[in-house]
Amino acid sequence: MTSEATIILLSLRIAALAMLIAIPSGMILAWLLARKDFRGKFLLDTLVSLPLAVPPVVIGYFLLWSIGGNSWIGKAWESLFGGNLAFTWLAASLAAAVVALPLIVRSFAAALQGVDPQLETAARVLGAGPWRTFFTVTLPLAYRGVLAGVLLGFVRALSEFGATIVVAGNIPGSTQGIPSAIFTRLSTGDTGTAWRLAFVSIAIGVAALLVHNLLLNRAKDSTEKSPETAR
Amino acid sequence: MITFDLRLDRQNFKLDVAGEIGRGVTAVFGPSGAGKSTLLSALSGSTKPDHGSIKMNNEVLFSSDADTWLAPERRRIGVVYQDGALFTHLSVRKNIEFGYKLTPPDDRKFQPDQLMSLLGLSQLVDRKPGQLSGGERQRVAIARAIAASPKILLLDEPLASLDVARKMSILDYLKQIHKTFELPMVYVSHSISEVVNLADTVIRMKDGKITGSSTSVDLLLGAVPVETDIEKYSNQFEAKIIDSSGAIGIVEVDGVKISTPRLSGDSGDSVILGIGANQLIVSLGKPERMSARNVLPGDIQNVSARNGRAYVEVDAGPNLLVELTESAVHDLDLKMGMPVHLVFKSSNVEVYSDN
Repeated sequence: MTSEATIILLSLRIAALAMLIAIPSGMILAWLLARKDFRGKFLLDTLVSLPLAVPPVVIGYFLLWSIGGNSWIGKAWESLFGGNLAFTWLAASLAAAVVALPLIVRSFAAALQGVDPQLETAARVLGAGPWRTFFTVTLPLAYRGVLAGVLLGFVRALSEFGATIVVAGNIPGSTQGIPSAIFTRLSTGDTGTAWRLAFVSIAIGVAALLVHNLLLNRAKDSTEKSPETAR
Repeated sequence: MITFDLRLDRQNFKLDVAGEIGRGVTAVFGPSGAGKSTLLSALSGSTKPDHGSIKMNNEVLFSSDADTWLAPERRRIGVVYQDGALFTHLSVRKNIEFGYKLTPPDDRKFQPDQLMSLLGLSQLVDRKPGQLSGGERQRVAIARAIAASPKILLLDEPLASLDVARKMSILDYLKQIHKTFELPMVYVSHSISEVVNLADTVIRMKDGKITGSSTSVDLLLGAVPVETDIEKYSNQFEAKIIDSSGAIGIVEVDGVKISTPRLSGDSGDSVILGIGANQLIVSLGKPERMSARNVLPGDIQNVSARNGRAYVEVDAGPNLLVELTESAVHDLDLKMGMPVHLVFKSSNVEVYSDN
């Protein structure tokens, strides 16, 4: 039996890597949805939100099909690093990233929409390129909403179970995070450990949601007070 | 300095313009929806036209034939927007230094500190835009644009949301900046008072087309067809309160006392006064024994007459524009350099409070 600390740390590690995957890709998707007009935008919007609407088990199955031993990604991985990509903690992170992505994209897009595009235009005219404009104007003005999205995505990644168990399994010390550990303890009758892990999950979730809501309220206040965006 | 020839086709709007912008102050004048802002946005690189070309001092900024499109950050064209578009997360100083720091040191022509003191912002440098008044915000926006050492400054109705007193003081700043830095400016406005105050040349626009260009006085004279109703021209100038206790106020303009309707400020405060161009009377000798209370001496700077109407520009401390009939100009034989007296009733003076 792995210790509770190991389980919690592994869960945090899986969720952290999931964020490293989901934050940059989520920002690109959110920026496209909030700032650009293009053909197929509606389709992209739907696709991004899809993980919210289908059972996580289906997402896990789809991921297994994409990165499993018979897929080209799986084969490429095997020839590069040896061994399987599926049923590793990396696969668990990937599953967590996919499930967290819709929440992240939606939060990021809302945060970006709160930034007056004219401020970006002004920055460009003043000599800032697109990247500098993003990092010195857009992101500082949207940071509360962005941070709130990251928190929401992080707790969603921590609570991931359905997709993970299909694509990464339930391997103690490797892919067994808090939710799958609780599931295992419950099925073996170790309700004491199950309760303690459940309590940790709830504590993290409550803390994250409190900070999330605080950030969003602040973001709303600052938009209302700002004369430039009050029009 | 800038030559442009642009076509742009959007769902509800077409722009089809060609012209030139020189070294002085050019006003772009026309009703809303005429395409004035779109033209500025194409010049600054924020809107890409479908066809045509833009050149600035022989540098190609845009050419649909050569497939050239210079990004806004590489054009060195300054823009002041209607609401300032200040970065709300940055202090006044950081706003003003934003473009300055991105300008290569060899190209930096204006120091932020110099601009802040010129525009009266030195006391406000640590504030955030949310703590500024409308007039202060526009001054920061102007300083921010100039600190990036632009080759030309575009102003997109920068004073539209301000009251008369604040407009006046910012117009003075802009005139001073144009003189001090010899910075060419393009000034978009639908206010004839602002245009006449600032611009040498006026480009008129309507429905996405340029309908002509002229001097600003020709515009006032109605010598050129204009599609909007031109407001009556009102001269605006600053004065110092001498006495605000009675029903008639007394102020001083360039050493001459003027009486006005009741004033609300304290002695020593400055106020902005307005007097219609058609409410000023020109007298050749010093008029005496008459009911109108106010007489300002001055010299004629310019006389323009056409189609029965005439405008005479008089330097009476402030520069004042007087509307006359062409026959009055003829009968009095008004000419440049002539000393005259301007007469007006105190009840015709408008007082704009500063707050």
